[in-house]
Amino acid sequence: MKQRLLIRSSLRHLGSHPWLTALSLLGIALGVAVVVSIDLANASAMRAFERSTDTVAGRATHQLVGGPSGLPESVYRDLRLQPGAPVSAPVVEGHVRARSGDQRILTVLGVDPFAEAPFRSFVPRGGGRVDMGAFLTEPGAALMTGRTARALNVKAGDPLQVAMEGVVKPLRVVALLQSGDENRAQAMEGLVLTDISTAQEVLGQVGRLSRIDLKLPDGEAGEARLASLRPLLPEGVEVIRPHTRGNAVEQMTRAFRTNLTALSLLALVVGTFLIYNTMTFSVVQRREQLGRLRAVGITRRELFALVLGEAAVLGMVGTVAGLLLGVVLGRGLMELVTRTLNDLYLVVSVRSLSLESFTLVKGVLLGLGATLAAAMLPAWEAARSAPAVTLRRSMLEDVSRNRAPRLALLGLVILALGVGLLSLPTPELLPAYAGLFSVLLGASLLVPWLTAKLAGLAAGPLGRPFGLLGRMAARGVTSNLSRTAVALAALMVAVATTVGVGLMVTSFRGTVADWLESSLEADVYVSPPALVTRRGGATFAPGLAEQVRATPGVASSSTLRTVQVRVDGVPTDVRAVDFGATPVRPYRFKEGDPARVWKELEAPDAVLVSEPLAFHRRLGVGGTVELATDQGPRRFRVVGVYFDYGSDTGTVLMLRSTYLLHFQDARVSGVALYAEPGQDVDALVARVRERAGTGQALGIQSNRALRQLSLEVFDRTFTITHVLRLLAVGVAFIGVLSALMALQLERARELAVLRATGLTPRQLWGLVSLQTGLLGLLAGLFSLPLGVALAYVLVHVINQRSFGWTLQLLVSGDVLTQAMVLALAAAALAGLYPSWKMSRANPALALREE
Amino acid sequence: MPPAQPVVELQDVSKSYAEGDAVREVLANVRITLHAGEFIVLLGRSGSGKSTLLNLISGIDLPSRGTVRVDGRELVTLSEHERTLLRRERIGFIFQAFNLLPTLTVEENILLPLELTGRDGLDSRNRVRELLDTVGLGNRAASFPDRLSGGEQQRVAVARALAHTPPLLLADEPTGNLDEQTGRKVLDLLEGLTRREKACALIVTHDPGLVARADRVLSLEAGRLVEREARA
Repeated sequence: MKQRLLIRSSLRHLGSHPWLTALSLLGIALGVAVVVSIDLANASAMRAFERSTDTVAGRATHQLVGGPSGLPESVYRDLRLQPGAPVSAPVVEGHVRARSGDQRILTVLGVDPFAEAPFRSFVPRGGGRVDMGAFLTEPGAALMTGRTARALNVKAGDPLQVAMEGVVKPLRVVALLQSGDENRAQAMEGLVLTDISTAQEVLGQVGRLSRIDLKLPDGEAGEARLASLRPLLPEGVEVIRPHTRGNAVEQMTRAFRTNLTALSLLALVVGTFLIYNTMTFSVVQRREQLGRLRAVGITRRELFALVLGEAAVLGMVGTVAGLLLGVVLGRGLMELVTRTLNDLYLVVSVRSLSLESFTLVKGVLLGLGATLAAAMLPAWEAARSAPAVTLRRSMLEDVSRNRAPRLALLGLVILALGVGLLSLPTPELLPAYAGLFSVLLGASLLVPWLTAKLAGLAAGPLGRPFGLLGRMAARGVTSNLSRTAVALAALMVAVATTVGVGLMVTSFRGTVADWLESSLEADVYVSPPALVTRRGGATFAPGLAEQVRATPGVASSSTLRTVQVRVDGVPTDVRAVDFGATPVRPYRFKEGDPARVWKELEAPDAVLVSEPLAFHRRLGVGGTVELATDQGPRRFRVVGVYFDYGSDTGTVLMLRSTYLLHFQDARVSGVALYAEPGQDVDALVARVRERAGTGQALGIQSNRALRQLSLEVFDRTFTITHVLRLLAVGVAFIGVLSALMALQLERARELAVLRATGLTPRQLWGLVSLQTGLLGLLAGLFSLPLGVALAYVLVHVINQRSFGWTLQLLVSGDVLTQAMVLALAAAALAGLYPSWKMSRANPALALREE
Repeated sequence: MPPAQPVVELQDVSKSYAEGDAVREVLANVRITLHAGEFIVLLGRSGSGKSTLLNLISGIDLPSRGTVRVDGRELVTLSEHERTLLRRERIGFIFQAFNLLPTLTVEENILLPLELTGRDGLDSRNRVRELLDTVGLGNRAASFPDRLSGGEQQRVAVARALAHTPPLLLADEPTGNLDEQTGRKVLDLLEGLTRREKACALIVTHDPGLVARADRVLSLEAGRLVEREARA
């Protein structure tokens, strides 16, 4: 092979700088790992959801569904009596929390065993038969797989307690089911099979069905059957396909998942800059060697391929390490993703990480692609190397310095382009990310010019306390601009990313805290425990809400019913509010006149929509939405758009009087109590608790406690963002360390000359530390404005386009200080090894090695 | 006997460099033709433009004016890629600063031109060993250049330039760092190749002893090339 010696030479170059090679590999590996782990965690959650939906949907081709309270049982009976009725089975489905074992969330699936065979096959363990008599006649009889039973610490014959919206319900495990292969076993984890009446009793849906599964033939015959069936269905009953539900969940969680992916990609962008730094450095460092290769007849193309080849080797090794690390990290993140999904969107139980081959392939492509893309420019630089004899190091530095103003101008142009892309009036995210990347790139191109200017200015102030060494440290930055500027640009981007994400979270939290302040005005809030924390759709036991509202010391109260309704075909939270005698209306409006909105809302077809819903569905005042009510689809007018940070998918709000007109549901999900003047809130909480009794576990919180709890939920849902930010900080730290260490190690000869001239190891350490400190300081300073700009883009463009939220940008001093500490600490650390190495090395040897 | 094929032809070649606002002319109207089988010595004081002339002939640099032909090919009309390939295939260059690759061993440095020209079999390895023995470095094959003295590095550079038996050999002070005995050996090697392979060697030197071996002696004086009388 013609290039064998060249490849060997490259590998030896990488091998002769083990620290730098290892740090760049770690940079790539971490970048890939973060992307892969987020993807695996997201995919595992979605896969687990799909599996459980598929299991409960079975082989149904269609489903009959009703409004939020389901279907009356009579619909099933009437359907079966129709001549030529399709194959059908009734289903009651809902979620409860186990009170034993790992206290997991369980899906209760109530079925009619005589109608089930065409849809789902559940085989008892050992292949025997379930005692149908016991299953059908014994109240609370339930079946589950052995794996689920083990997790709940029960065995066949044992009683099992579950909690439904805070009310304890008894079940008994009458037999265990065979779980089959691993896929099916995972799908059936957390599934409890009961007969229809047990499920109705446990889930509080007596007389109602969640849906009716249908099995229709494929093609035209099926369509014909469907067409003949539709006119026979009572009002409010719709026919949907089973995958509609999966699609809705996919859609509902898309923005959340996209943002996690985008944040993880930011880590990869930081990683890419590090690779760029490593490769550029390796090229700059070997300029003379590359020139020699050119002189002995290596063509530009061959040099280009050589540098890209080196990058490919680094990329491959780093990517493989990243994939392995990603799987490990994915297991940890999976729990966080699942918890956040459960807090915000849906009930999903993810027990194991799905190793999606697509994710792994994507990881390889991203890792290798990012490495090669980052190495393109350095490879091109390498290919431009002049043959050695015409090359002088000082000339190169002259070129770098002369080029700095032109690069800065180009940077300004790219920055302007980025700002242009970000200002495009489009809801698309791609131009936003392209704009973001342009801002990062444009800012990087400003760095050489800024570095030359600032380091020049620093020479004086550093010279006063540190003398010649201080001036040398500052001049070293400018005289090696071709190296220092690249390192600084990489550091700036790395640190700025952590600033940007940090400020975004702080801003978000600040906005939510403000919103909670204005929207929580009652003194005490009471609600049953909901499985999806932020949605809160659980309901009070009959009569309990009224009892709570009548607690002595309560001046007035309002109630809320939260229920999921298909709005324009997409399951959406609808809130029905009854303000009672309370004059307080704790809502702020983005659109609509607050003075008129409440009057307009009294119309039986009027609703308010939250800001995210208005954004996602392109709604505004005057627009309409179609709700699948219990009387069938009805159109409602939007009379206002209110700020709401409780749900990123959006909510519809209507008065309870309107809700009762359209939905056969008089239940209440939450009560807000306003204390009489002079009432002690804590005493009122105690009285409410006493009146509520112990029949249903209720959450009874004072205003302050609820605010605290809401912020805790917020923080919990942002844990994963914090983890991602920490990972980005880790990558940035490695970047600062490797770039600055590379710079100092590269100065071995210069330092050896200084040692030979009489500089003591201590003085040498001082010189190196001063220079790395100065570089760290510059990187920190550069990163602050870029980080704030990045936060602005994340808050006002990316978040806006993902979720539709209006957020206020809050620039927190803590985040900025952290960034400076990060840059300076890494810089200080980076100086240690080269100083130690040079103070121990024999100067004569170092001089000769060069 | 008919004159041998011209290997290098320079027609009115000038080279100048910008130094700030001023322009410094290093070579002025140089005309010369070098033939296969000629062993030519180029003399001149420091800064007289000797290295620049070698760079122009090897295609590393291009003239400000005039034409440079190597093997009948006009270098200015060739692309950078073609010039590099020409240098790789047809020229052996001994650089004043050696230009050895620090990440390749002595043996690999010499093998490099052979590998680049597609000759990396057993014969090539034997050829490298033979050259190493000739320059007295048979026992240093596996060493890296940074472990060698200046003189040893220069010998490796000579061996590398000769490895692929190029028809044109350019040498910039090839014996500058060598003791008298080794220097003589190296010159024997250069001359031997020129005579045996009918190559053309252009040697830049300060060594007056070398003049005695030369077929032609050229001298650069203030950027102008002058041909002196060579040995009888």
